[in-house]
Amino acid sequence: MDQFQQLEKFISAVIPLDEAVLKQFIAPWTACSEKRKTILTRAGDTERYLYFVTEGIQRVYYFDEQGREATIVFTYPPSFGGVADSFLTQSPSRFFAETLTPSAFLKISFLQVDELMQQHREIEKFIRIATNYAFAGVLERLVEIQCFSAEEKFTALLKRSPHLLNLIPHKYIASYLGMDATNFSKLLGKIRL
Amino acid sequence: MKYLSQTLLDDLYNQTETAIEKTIGHWQQLPLHILKQSPGAGKWSAAQCLEHLNSYGRYYLPAIEKAFTASSLPPAIEFKSGILGNYFYKLMLTDSSGKIRKKMAAPKNHQPPANLDAAIVLGEFISQLEKTGQLLTAARQKNLGKVKVPISIAPYIKLKAGDVLLFFIAHIRRHMQQAERALKAAGSVTANAVPV
Repeated sequence: MDQFQQLEKFISAVIPLDEAVLKQFIAPWTACSEKRKTILTRAGDTERYLYFVTEGIQRVYYFDEQGREATIVFTYPPSFGGVADSFLTQSPSRFFAETLTPSAFLKISFLQVDELMQQHREIEKFIRIATNYAFAGVLERLVEIQCFSAEEKFTALLKRSPHLLNLIPHKYIASYLGMDATNFSKLLGKIRL
Repeated sequence: MKYLSQTLLDDLYNQTETAIEKTIGHWQQLPLHILKQSPGAGKWSAAQCLEHLNSYGRYYLPAIEKAFTASSLPPAIEFKSGILGNYFYKLMLTDSSGKIRKKMAAPKNHQPPANLDAAIVLGEFISQLEKTGQLLTAARQKNLGKVKVPISIAPYIKLKAGDVLLFFIAHIRRHMQQAERALKAAGSVTANAVPV
């Protein structure tokens, strides 16, 4: 299955689109690939693209002048990527998006998505439903952050994304869980037993 | 020794990627006591090998980055290594079985302590490898022969950036091979599965 077929399959699983509309929606996407640890979007810049991830792992993270860093979300195939809120509102991003492993994407510009949404109600509906899913994910994560112990948070992550542990440096997982490296290695040792 | 700059950088980048994949996919999954186990009296554990590398990375990665940032010279098609640079590079090389050709004692300030937090050491090592990969990407826009980097043992001696990258990465390979032998001796072969 090539990248475009993966995208078609992904879209169709969210909402079945009319064949002709689906073709029009797929047409403007372009393929790109990036090395490990490449910044896709910087804080302060406006997200220009909606990415569809076909290979590799990426993260969106917060980083400020005081050196505080928090990994907000991991993305990997098949899913959308980039800084979603900045893309949808076309306002400067407060977050960075970067690749954590060599990655491949399809991407489409905001102008193209906007034009397609104006032409086809179905595409606008697709974007709305996809946004709803993302919103539900954010609320679920809020509960984890506020109520779960470190161990429960880690277990929840492993349930969602078990492959991460073998593919990315553990510091990013520790950062996602809000732990330092030493405590994370202790937790990892405990879970192994 | 003469190299095509981009071919040299491709080769060094691929070596760095291989090193990153090994540390993330395998070493990161090992129990910490395996990383800390010495293979014999007076011999370095894997964690000590990596801490030795970290101590050089803490000097060379910022030094290389600084030299790159300060230079706006365009890249050259060819890179010709200097006499001293090539000598240091050759010193770092191991033979095809990973055995060291010339044994050297580490300077005092690069001798790793025995009591290390292996998780911290490995985490820093992986971060340094990530940084190395980013610098090798930045190097594609730089002149490897004209940009000069002061060396750690004698900062008044400056070597070509291409030579520094060559021996820095050969040094990493040398001690990763040593770490691998320490891990084998500690029995890592039976302990690399992650039950998640």
